[in-house]
Amino acid sequence: MELIFSLLQQLSVYLVIAYLLSKTPLFMPLTTVSGRLSQRFSCYVLFSLFCILGTYFGLNIEDAIANTRAIGAVMGGLLGGPIVGFAVGLTGGMHRYSMGGFTDVACAISTTAEGLLGGLLHSYYVRRGQVDQLYRPFIVFTITLVAEIIQMFIILIVAEPYDKALHLVSAIALPMVIANSLGAALFMSIIQDRKTIYEKYSAAFSSRALKIAQRSVGILSQGFNEESTKKIAKIVYEETGVGAVAITDRDKILAFIGIGDDHHLPGTPISSGYTRRSIDNCELVYADGHDMPYCCSLSNRCKLGSALVIPLVGGNNDVLGTIKLYEPKRKLFSTVNLTLGEGIAKLLSNQILTGRYEQQQILLTQAELRLLQAQVNPHFLFNALNTISAIIRRDPDKARQLIQHLSQFFRRNLKQNIETVTISEELQHVRSYLEIELARFSDRLNVEIIVPDELMRVNLPTFTLQPLVENAIKHGTSSLLENGQIIIRGYVFDNQLVLEVEDNAGTYQPVGEESGLGMKIVDKRLKNMFGQQYGLKMSSQPNVWTRATITLPEDKALQHNDINKIYVEANKQDHRNGENTA
Amino acid sequence: MIKAIVIDDELYAREELIDLLLDSGEIDVIGSCNNAIEGLKKINALKPDVIFLDIQMPQITGIEMLSMLDPDTMPKVVFVTAYDEYALKAFEDNAFDYLLKPVETCRLNKTIKRLKREYEAKDYSPLMSDMLELIPCTGHNRILLLRPEDIEVAYSDLSGVHILSTETKANTQLTLKVLEEKTPLIRCHRQYLVHPQAIREIKLLDNGLAEITTQYGYQVPVSRRYLKELKDRFGLS
Repeated sequence: MELIFSLLQQLSVYLVIAYLLSKTPLFMPLTTVSGRLSQRFSCYVLFSLFCILGTYFGLNIEDAIANTRAIGAVMGGLLGGPIVGFAVGLTGGMHRYSMGGFTDVACAISTTAEGLLGGLLHSYYVRRGQVDQLYRPFIVFTITLVAEIIQMFIILIVAEPYDKALHLVSAIALPMVIANSLGAALFMSIIQDRKTIYEKYSAAFSSRALKIAQRSVGILSQGFNEESTKKIAKIVYEETGVGAVAITDRDKILAFIGIGDDHHLPGTPISSGYTRRSIDNCELVYADGHDMPYCCSLSNRCKLGSALVIPLVGGNNDVLGTIKLYEPKRKLFSTVNLTLGEGIAKLLSNQILTGRYEQQQILLTQAELRLLQAQVNPHFLFNALNTISAIIRRDPDKARQLIQHLSQFFRRNLKQNIETVTISEELQHVRSYLEIELARFSDRLNVEIIVPDELMRVNLPTFTLQPLVENAIKHGTSSLLENGQIIIRGYVFDNQLVLEVEDNAGTYQPVGEESGLGMKIVDKRLKNMFGQQYGLKMSSQPNVWTRATITLPEDKALQHNDINKIYVEANKQDHRNGENTA
Repeated sequence: MIKAIVIDDELYAREELIDLLLDSGEIDVIGSCNNAIEGLKKINALKPDVIFLDIQMPQITGIEMLSMLDPDTMPKVVFVTAYDEYALKAFEDNAFDYLLKPVETCRLNKTIKRLKREYEAKDYSPLMSDMLELIPCTGHNRILLLRPEDIEVAYSDLSGVHILSTETKANTQLTLKVLEEKTPLIRCHRQYLVHPQAIREIKLLDNGLAEITTQYGYQVPVSRRYLKELKDRFGLS
């Protein structure tokens, strides 16, 4: 009985050491069963030390040692697998062997066996995908119990003389079995606590970071200004729970929220030296309030006592501004917020960049539209004038007509800011264009337009059809010796409105050619307006035909409003008729 | 009167130029057409003194057409173009006559004056390519553009020059001389050219004659004069 208490006392010291170590990063590899070499190695080192420690903490009894060595061996096996378990057991066992005594060989063998046993259980659970079971103190208790009982048998079998061994075992069996099983279970529970705390911490951290990311999506795409940063500052303030949050650009405060917002006013220039330093050097500045005091540069009554200034870095390492987190004098920065701060800054930097990118995209599309309008002019005008000049003597009336068509064509091109037109208007534009081209290729070009009236009111981006027709002539029919044929078709198919421009040349080249740019712009504008599943597709059968196919959504395009209106009008008419007859 | 042919793919431009030429009273326009292939035919048939040749035309440009003309019967050429930086520079460099569209009357008059003064056609070789990439041919109611490597045999008879390719038989306006110079075809007889890679068999006959069988099975006679060259070429002598 006395032995049990003594052993438990030793065990306490042993566990205190384990507990203290669990506060250090040394224990981190033990909280997961990753199976990585580094994890296995740290298991081996750590538990071998515990194994040896268990021997030293043992009590000398009858030329043998009652000890807690088994804890290290079993745990090593459980967390590191059979090889590690075996190695830990062997290391502990060899160490025990070196200390002599009549049970030295038996102890060496049994410790190795215990390590291996733990390892086998590890393999069993890993194979069944129940790694979590390894961390259950009850399981650890049981396996250590079994291990210790096996050890006792090994001592009885191996140690000589037998009667001395029997006497020893009867004295130490119970204390050792109890102490080791209990110890191992408690040890595992320490690791488990450590694991839980860590997981909770990272879960809290991730969920906070995710929440900020989620709430701030898209806000900065409207631009990096007072309005958008105010929203962002509010989100960061609410989610981190810091004393105050500020966002600045390179010169002034854009947003401030929290303690001290009576004198930290948006729009005022940056006065803090820390912020200046952060912007100028593109570095994170942390004034923790002790080693580096934070003193509000605006008011000496300001309650803020520490600040974290993080630069917002754009492309090419340009500092776009800063985000600042503050805590009041009575409070310290939590480590979570220190780490989170940097993440938030990265997130905001990316969002600002995305915003700028989107703005540039919009500008680009506008520029592309201009380009599309401009692209047509010089060559077309030149050819048109040449044609008119050639006609004017023989057929002045025809020449006058052509000049009118040309004028119409350019009038439409001048309406630069119209984003969308109806198919009818676009076809009008195409016709003006075609009149000129038909005159040029008069004896070898034919154009047919087959678009039903009900599709005429459908909207589409300006300059959608004209570039396609131009392309069909420029790269298609103009290369034919005779009988060029262009067909413009419109129909509804498979819930899509389809417009086709087809020539009979079949000279389409899938890649290259500068005309590709014009086609790309047409496709992009359709996709921007209607979605990714719509747009322009080119298909061709060499030397037979080339077809440019445009798809638009049917329902959106067919404008239900108008249909409804017609329907309502008709109803009214019926109603009135009814009244009359009554 | 100077006999002229106008070759231009745009109807109105062609008509306008013809009108201007007729107005000058110095030129007799004996023909006109809207592409290079027709142009070759008209030139061979009508033997004009001068051609007014548009450069931008479908399939075969004016410049490409030039390479297909036999230098022996080459008419004078006045190039007509709306815009072609590259060609204009070549015209300037070689002092070739050209007109810009739309054609100005006084410029045209200068050109006509010069045409009357000069008796010989210029050497247009700076514009010509050494090898032809496409051989324009006419088949049954259609126009073919054959690649030289697809042609096995070319021969001439009273009705003109004929082409035998792996797929078809056709006529061409190009002379055997032009074909010999500007395609891989080699001469094996006064009236026959054959593609060396198309030869499957050369059967030696009596009297130093021979007969070639092509891959596709055409029979081509080899005259005494060319048999030696043929043997030399294949290292058989």
